[in-house]
Amino acid sequence: MVALPRTALHQDRVPDNVSTRSTLHGDTVLDADVVIIGSGAGGATLAAELAEAGLDVVMIEEGRYYTTRDFTAEASAMTRQLYRDGGASIAIGDPPVMFQEGRAVGGSTVINGGMSWRTPERILERWRREAGLEHIEMPDMDEFFARVERRINVRHQDPETIGVDNALLKRGADAKGWKVIPNLRNQVHCAGSNNCAFGCPTGAKQSALVSYIPRALHFGARLLSDVKIDKILMHGKRAIGVQGHVVGDPATGPSGARGHRVVVRAKLVVSACGAIQTPALLARSGVRSPSGRLGHNLSLHPNVKLTAVFDEPVRGWEGVHQAYQVREFEGEGLLFAAVNIPPSIVAMTSHQRGAALGRLMAEYDRTVIAGMLCEDSATGRVRTISGRPQAFYQLAQLDAEKLIRGVALLSELLFAAGARSIVTPFAGVPALRSHDDTRALYTRTIKRSAMEVVTVHMMGTAAMGTDRTRSVTDGYGLVHDADRLMVCDASLFPTPIGVNPMETIMALATRAAAHVLDNLPRYQ
Amino acid sequence: MSYQHPPQVRRVLESLVPVVCPPEAMELGLGADIVDHVALTMSVVPPLFRRGLVLGLTTYDVSAVLWWPGRGRRAHRLPLALAERWFARWEHGPTPIESELAKAVGQLLKFGCYEQPAMLERLGYRPQQWIDQVKRRRLTVYGDDVRRAEAAILAPDPLRPRSQKKERA
Ligand SMILES: Cc1cc2nc3c(=O)[nH]c(=O)nc-3n(C[C@H](O)[C@H](O)[C@H](O)COP(=O)(O)OP(=O)(O)OC[C@H]3O[C@@H](n4cnc5c(N)ncnc54)[C@H](O)[C@@H]3O)c2cc1C
Ligand code: SF4
Repeated sequence: MVALPRTALHQDRVPDNVSTRSTLHGDTVLDADVVIIGSGAGGATLAAELAEAGLDVVMIEEGRYYTTRDFTAEASAMTRQLYRDGGASIAIGDPPVMFQEGRAVGGSTVINGGMSWRTPERILERWRREAGLEHIEMPDMDEFFARVERRINVRHQDPETIGVDNALLKRGADAKGWKVIPNLRNQVHCAGSNNCAFGCPTGAKQSALVSYIPRALHFGARLLSDVKIDKILMHGKRAIGVQGHVVGDPATGPSGARGHRVVVRAKLVVSACGAIQTPALLARSGVRSPSGRLGHNLSLHPNVKLTAVFDEPVRGWEGVHQAYQVREFEGEGLLFAAVNIPPSIVAMTSHQRGAALGRLMAEYDRTVIAGMLCEDSATGRVRTISGRPQAFYQLAQLDAEKLIRGVALLSELLFAAGARSIVTPFAGVPALRSHDDTRALYTRTIKRSAMEVVTVHMMGTAAMGTDRTRSVTDGYGLVHDADRLMVCDASLFPTPIGVNPMETIMALATRAAAHVLDNLPRYQ
Repeated sequence: MSYQHPPQVRRVLESLVPVVCPPEAMELGLGADIVDHVALTMSVVPPLFRRGLVLGLTTYDVSAVLWWPGRGRRAHRLPLALAERWFARWEHGPTPIESELAKAVGQLLKFGCYEQPAMLERLGYRPQQWIDQVKRRRLTVYGDDVRRAEAAILAPDPLRPRSQKKERA
């Protein structure tokens, strides 16, 4: 066997300045300049920037510290470990929308697809216009995007990693004459292992776990993993620290026993828990937004998937997913891509059962799974019930129609690529076998409840804005009507952005770091 | 694992395997393994969801007694053809409660079914082999680049606050 070179970042062990449940033996009290709750796209980026500037930063993460070698293709085991609620969180509405959040050091970036896109300029312009944000457009944002892209290595794929499913998607788009572009991803020679959703087993994906987190630790930040923050400690309107407890192993479910207590006192408290957990944490801590908008304004980028069977072998798990994006309908808020997913998840999300399911799955190695992201027009809400967040989201009729149109368009593309049959995400709609079936979709009545809608892009629940009667934070994430309390995650988006959100979150976090450094005396 | 199926829930789930999963699952004798897998998944779902499922499955089982074709039997005692019909009634149930329960239970069983190694083997799905192969190729072909990128992660590149930039400008 050829010995592989060892990597410099020790992707096979927990670094020294990370405390875990096995090293947190008693109650812990720490002091820091900045305490950041959550180590995902927002939290890790902010931590690295502030630590490098010399601030004493403590990051706290409820999830475990996994190393690259922990990541395997065992979908079920990985889902139980890396996804909050085993990936089965539901936004209540018609239809219910299943959504996924990461829970691990590195947050959702550990399980995400690595798509790395700047915020579209039309969205930044909208944020300026509607939320009154300053310095949010180009060229002001350019330096922050460029810095993030440098840090997480945003690149096109090496061509040899592109598999048959993506080639077919491109073939279909080319045949239709539609705009299709190579995806930009945060990766260093991604190997095309197709395991992004269960952690990158090669270390190629530059998730926060292998980019911003090691950088933050290198510049002196401390990280406490396996610690859930229960509340932000407030002195009047001023945030003075956080309080939480050590949690059990998420893969086996809650043990019922409450672990040791953790308190961190700090001059600046940052919630970077993601758009579902941040409003709940603020609400549990008694933080009230004068606007009454905390937890409101939830956007989801509703997502549906089609299963297209071809005559030729596809073996979609061999090669990177989403190597291309079809941008022809970007103006309508629709993006298409090929997103191979493992058999268990294809089966789970399919409307088939029994022998029909068996027939569909028997063709798994000749199947292209194509997904669609829709920029939504409705907003939902995260309510905090007994301290836990519960999302509510009602798919707008307009968006439901957009999903039907998107499915029809994507089916046209897949037939143009040579698909033999296509299973839609709509219960009760028989498999499509021809262009005629596709056209019939436009006139068919499809109830919202028949739609299998999922999402991984939750945004907007503590939105930025200059008007404190309409927004939760200012233009840099500082909570209106509170002191030394910041939000730094996907909650900040005033509106959905129509593209994958990670790079936007990281760029906003970098911009927030610059703002803190600019106003350092305020936090002494 | 902190969640174990109560006996009545286990019985209903076992009776639903041939209804929801493809026939191969029963041919391969995977019923009990699939139901065990459902317990694993249920141990990590939100507690409210888990309680709802347990309650829903119990109701599903008991309420079959009132369905006249079942002749007073609970759902887990129905022969396959009737079990099929009873499940279909819930799938298309008069309220979203029935249909959402049938959907959720179906999803758990289908997920558990296609997580069984024997089922994956039938599909020729061997992702770990592929991962090992491309992981090796990456480090062999691009090892130097990979190490350069890793070094760059730790290289100093301080963020200059806006005020400092203005001073220097
Ligand atoms: C499967 C999947 C695929 C995706 N694909 C892409 C993609 O290709 N491109 C893209 O741009 N985006 C993608 N996304 C979305 C993107 O990853 C997220 O939008 C982004 O990571 C959100 O960043 P965040 O900082 O808001 O939260 P997260 O990255 O989710 O981090 C929040 C962290 O806070 C922790 N936390 C929460 N509450 C507490 C608490 N009380 N105490 C301590 N810790 C807490 C959580 O455990 C979590 O680790 C994907 C997401 C998923 C789930
Ligand atoms: S496809 Fe690329 S980035 Fe994704 S897990 Fe595999 S090697 Fe990592």
